[in-house]
Amino acid sequence: MRDNVKGGALTEVTFYILLSLYTPKHGYAVMQFIEEETHGRLELGAGTLYGALNALLEKGWIAPWGEAEGRKKEYRVTPLGRERAERELQRLRALAETASRIIGGVT
Amino acid sequence: MSKKCYRFFGGALAAQEKWLNRMAAQGFRLVRTEKLLYEFEACEPGQYEYRVEFVGQKSRKDGEDYRQFLEDLGYRTFYKNINLNYSVGKVRWRPWAEPGGRIATNATTYNRELLIVEKEADGKPFELHTTYEDQIACAGALRGPWLCIAAMFVFFGVVFPHVIFWVLAALSALPALYYQTRIWRLRREAKTKEW
Repeated sequence: MRDNVKGGALTEVTFYILLSLYTPKHGYAVMQFIEEETHGRLELGAGTLYGALNALLEKGWIAPWGEAEGRKKEYRVTPLGRERAERELQRLRALAETASRIIGGVT
Repeated sequence: MSKKCYRFFGGALAAQEKWLNRMAAQGFRLVRTEKLLYEFEACEPGQYEYRVEFVGQKSRKDGEDYRQFLEDLGYRTFYKNINLNYSVGKVRWRPWAEPGGRIATNATTYNRELLIVEKEADGKPFELHTTYEDQIACAGALRGPWLCIAAMFVFFGVVFPHVIFWVLAALSALPALYYQTRIWRLRREAKTKEW
């Protein structure tokens, strides 16, 4: 869910899906990637993943990859999706910088 | 060795889900469904878990695409009817459905309103929908048909003034209210809960 009309923060789910698809993956591998990278903190329901993938396909941030015939569908991030992910990284860096300045260094 | 049970749950999704999970806990795994029939095979008690999802708002293509996606993830799925209707050339208009799914026939989505999803238990919680946005959309999809039925009875009540239509309208508005309450609760949580 967007938390700002204009601000352009990605949801965590969206961002992780984009990151997972820097190398082509099918749905199950995306789920595994997210679970591993977050050490099980973020668990994605299959229905939610399905909806998120379709929304990203529609936006053109990811695209189907390879031969889908008879095999599990694979997806890959598009140049537009990469651009969004990179912008999000910058936003998070700026946020982390502000937070570190105020909260101080946390190891 | 298989066990056959005859049940009809209609729109009581939670009851159907609970029953399937109770059967699985006793060591019965679903292998086949028909209109009223559920056929089970013996399995380890608690080996499988079930979720029942409403997919009647989807078009045939979208529903099938979703089912295939779940199958690819390693789940097993079964279509299930929400109505009990044996006519062959059934055509039904579903104003509450998504574009593409509004006309339901036996060849498309009629009698395929529910999806029973089976997962092999692995100690992790089995939830198909894990974001507020998604859970709200699910509750909304379930609210639609009930609202529609209620509106139909209100219309009948106005055209043919008889108390029975108003009673039926009130009865079908109850589940709609139930799902609406869920939507309100989820929306509030989405706003106030940060994690």
